[in-house]
Amino acid sequence: MRVFNRTKQIIAIILIAVSALVIACSKSSNPGGPDNNAGGFDKTAMLTNYADALIIPAYTGMQTQLNTFETAVNVFLDVPTTENQVVLKAAFKNAYLQFQHISVDQFGPAERVILNSFLNSFPTDIPAIEGNVTRGSYDLTMNSTTVQQGFPALDHLLFASDALSKLNSAGNANRKKYVKDLLTRMKTLVAGVLSNWKDSYRADFIGNTRSDAGSPIAFMINQFAYEMDQMKGPRIGWPYGKQSGGVQYPQNVEGYNAGISIALATENLTNLKAMYTGGGNGKGMADYLIALKKEQLNTDVLKQFDAAITALKTIPDPYSTALTANRTQIDAAYIEIQKLLTLIKTDVASATGVRITYQDTDGD
Amino acid sequence: MFKVFDRLQRQVSIAPLVSFRILFGLMMLAGTIRFWVNGWITSQYIAPKFYFTYIGFDWVRPLGDTGMHLLFGAIALSSFFLAVGFLYRLSASVFFMAFTYVELIDVTNYLNHYYFISLVAFMLIWLPAGRSWSVDTLIWPQLKRDSVPLWTIGIIRLQMGIVYFFAGIAKLNADWMLQAMPMKIWLPAKSHLPIVGELMYKEWIAYLFSWFGAVYDLSIAFLLINRRTRRLAYLFVLIFHTATAIFFPGIGMFPYVMMVGSTIFFSADEHRYILLKIKRLFGFHDDKRNRNTTYRFNNAVIPWMSAGLLLYFFLQIVVPLRYLLYPGRLFWYEEGYRFSWRVMLMEKSGNTFFRVVEPGTGKTYEVNNNAWLTPLQDKMMSTQPDMMLRYAHYLAKVYTARGIKNPEVYAEAYVTLNGERSKPYINTTVNLAVQPLSWQHYTWVLPYTKHEK
Repeated sequence: MRVFNRTKQIIAIILIAVSALVIACSKSSNPGGPDNNAGGFDKTAMLTNYADALIIPAYTGMQTQLNTFETAVNVFLDVPTTENQVVLKAAFKNAYLQFQHISVDQFGPAERVILNSFLNSFPTDIPAIEGNVTRGSYDLTMNSTTVQQGFPALDHLLFASDALSKLNSAGNANRKKYVKDLLTRMKTLVAGVLSNWKDSYRADFIGNTRSDAGSPIAFMINQFAYEMDQMKGPRIGWPYGKQSGGVQYPQNVEGYNAGISIALATENLTNLKAMYTGGGNGKGMADYLIALKKEQLNTDVLKQFDAAITALKTIPDPYSTALTANRTQIDAAYIEIQKLLTLIKTDVASATGVRITYQDTDGD
Repeated sequence: MFKVFDRLQRQVSIAPLVSFRILFGLMMLAGTIRFWVNGWITSQYIAPKFYFTYIGFDWVRPLGDTGMHLLFGAIALSSFFLAVGFLYRLSASVFFMAFTYVELIDVTNYLNHYYFISLVAFMLIWLPAGRSWSVDTLIWPQLKRDSVPLWTIGIIRLQMGIVYFFAGIAKLNADWMLQAMPMKIWLPAKSHLPIVGELMYKEWIAYLFSWFGAVYDLSIAFLLINRRTRRLAYLFVLIFHTATAIFFPGIGMFPYVMMVGSTIFFSADEHRYILLKIKRLFGFHDDKRNRNTTYRFNNAVIPWMSAGLLLYFFLQIVVPLRYLLYPGRLFWYEEGYRFSWRVMLMEKSGNTFFRVVEPGTGKTYEVNNNAWLTPLQDKMMSTQPDMMLRYAHYLAKVYTARGIKNPEVYAEAYVTLNGERSKPYINTTVNLAVQPLSWQHYTWVLPYTKHEK
């Protein structure tokens, strides 16, 4: 009997403790929402910064760059000369560099239209492209055509060694039209994603401070890891022969004909660092880590970003020729990239409580 | 001793078994439909190119698109039949075998509550839970029974108790109790919750969650079995598991399994009372005839049944303790981690690079894990040595087929555990292709070292 009373007492105490907790919680809650407090970390402010200072401006910049590029394309297609091609290449590079700013934002509206796949699937499918040009008929909205369009397709159509001669040969109308169609397609996609962000997704994005699968925070951390995986694989490692026992694939590099692979990779990583820190002024993941008392980790991640960027910059463009000429630099950069990938994929993801997988399932 | 034995033989109302059967069947039906609708049959059992099988169950293979959907159809149908009590024993057997088969396909998908469901389904095969409130007794009234030996209900209670108690024991480790890890990591990710959200950054909340969780798991079964504390304890079950469902939606069906499962602790009379109420609600009257039909096991069966039960519960106690036979830190090596009711216990993630080397030439092929594994498989593999080994053996096979003789497979892995910095996990000089898969301690996993935060 006495034992039972004890148990009852214990339960009563626990119940009182829980109710006290609930009361304490409800009293200290403020009407501005749970994430706008000084004690913790303002995730809403962080997400607002991401949307307004980084992501939306990146898409706006992409739009601007594509317009500038389009002007140069039209000039070049009217008079396809070596001189015009040089001017065009500068505009192409600027636009492609700007793409590296939106590459990491592949979630929400961009994910719905698989923007990255349509804009930057490389290596591009040259036979398919030439087939489209010859036939003059194609449906660029089909998912199977991602490797027939975007920057890599333009890189081939405009800058391949035989591009000038083909554009100047008889029956070039189809080819010119294809280039223009590709550009229109890119502009339409980017405009769609941008307006989607402005119209509705921005509000969803900053209003969702969760960290579970499908939340903006989880999306971003996963994308950081994904971009690093892309850097390690398709951008740097695979053309170098890491996957293929040393057999190299120089024609598979990003921006092969324009010869700007390392510039693109460096831009990608520099922008990734900006995404990690939250850019110049506002809050970012770096600040979130500090709020989670992970100062040392944050310092090490920033250091590793710099180490990887510095190492990348030692590799000269064009990467397709550096593959054999600059092995030491490539090996060194590869190691730094792998270190950064591990930090983001394990330490940063773990510290922020984010699961690295888009695949939705139960866990325990 | 004999008193206990006599007490266990005592006949009590069949009601607890009946309501457990109905609730279990309905919940499994709902869970199966949810799994199907979420597209997980495809993503977990059709999409993967490679499956991490269990030692001794390598013959368990996925059955293809149609086959898997038929199998899940069988699970759903047998769940429904369990609930309504149609061809009870057959349905229980089909459910147990189909469900367990699915769970044995891929280690990736291991969840403690799936294991629990398999165990309960196995027990249900042998228990007379279909002898009342069932389609069977409508068709064959002579099967109807009103009472059963107490132990038939007791073993389900004991199983529930074992789950809770071992889950509690597992929490009694320095990280959980003294560091409030991994709660300190998981809770700040929950700051979006209304009212309690802003508290999630507070350390004392992490300690409160950790300690409350440990005390709850260790004590709840005792409080449920005790008549005087039962109702209050069940209220706690509801509160606790609702809270876990809100805080950790990722754990899926688990809270509901436990909330439903815990009703077995209510007394036979309470169950009978509730069932009668429901019956009256639908305008039926209590059947006063055959009040004293009791279910008795055949005398010839009883020795086998007793031996089986002893063995079963012996295993239930030994299996979760097998980790004691392994050296090194359990959370790091995960040797003896599964089948031990370690639920939501640690924050662990990793990143693993594999390289395949051709012995003669030294040619090295780095492996793109995405080419062979689903993101979920990659994630699970990256923290669990036995999965890495299975994958390494698979890679050896793949590269042999590509024309490399006796390929060597090396792994470079980094693992972070409970918020510590990631550390090298696998000895990068060991050729995993020739390491045997076994229950022996894996010497190629680097020892756990604790240093800076």
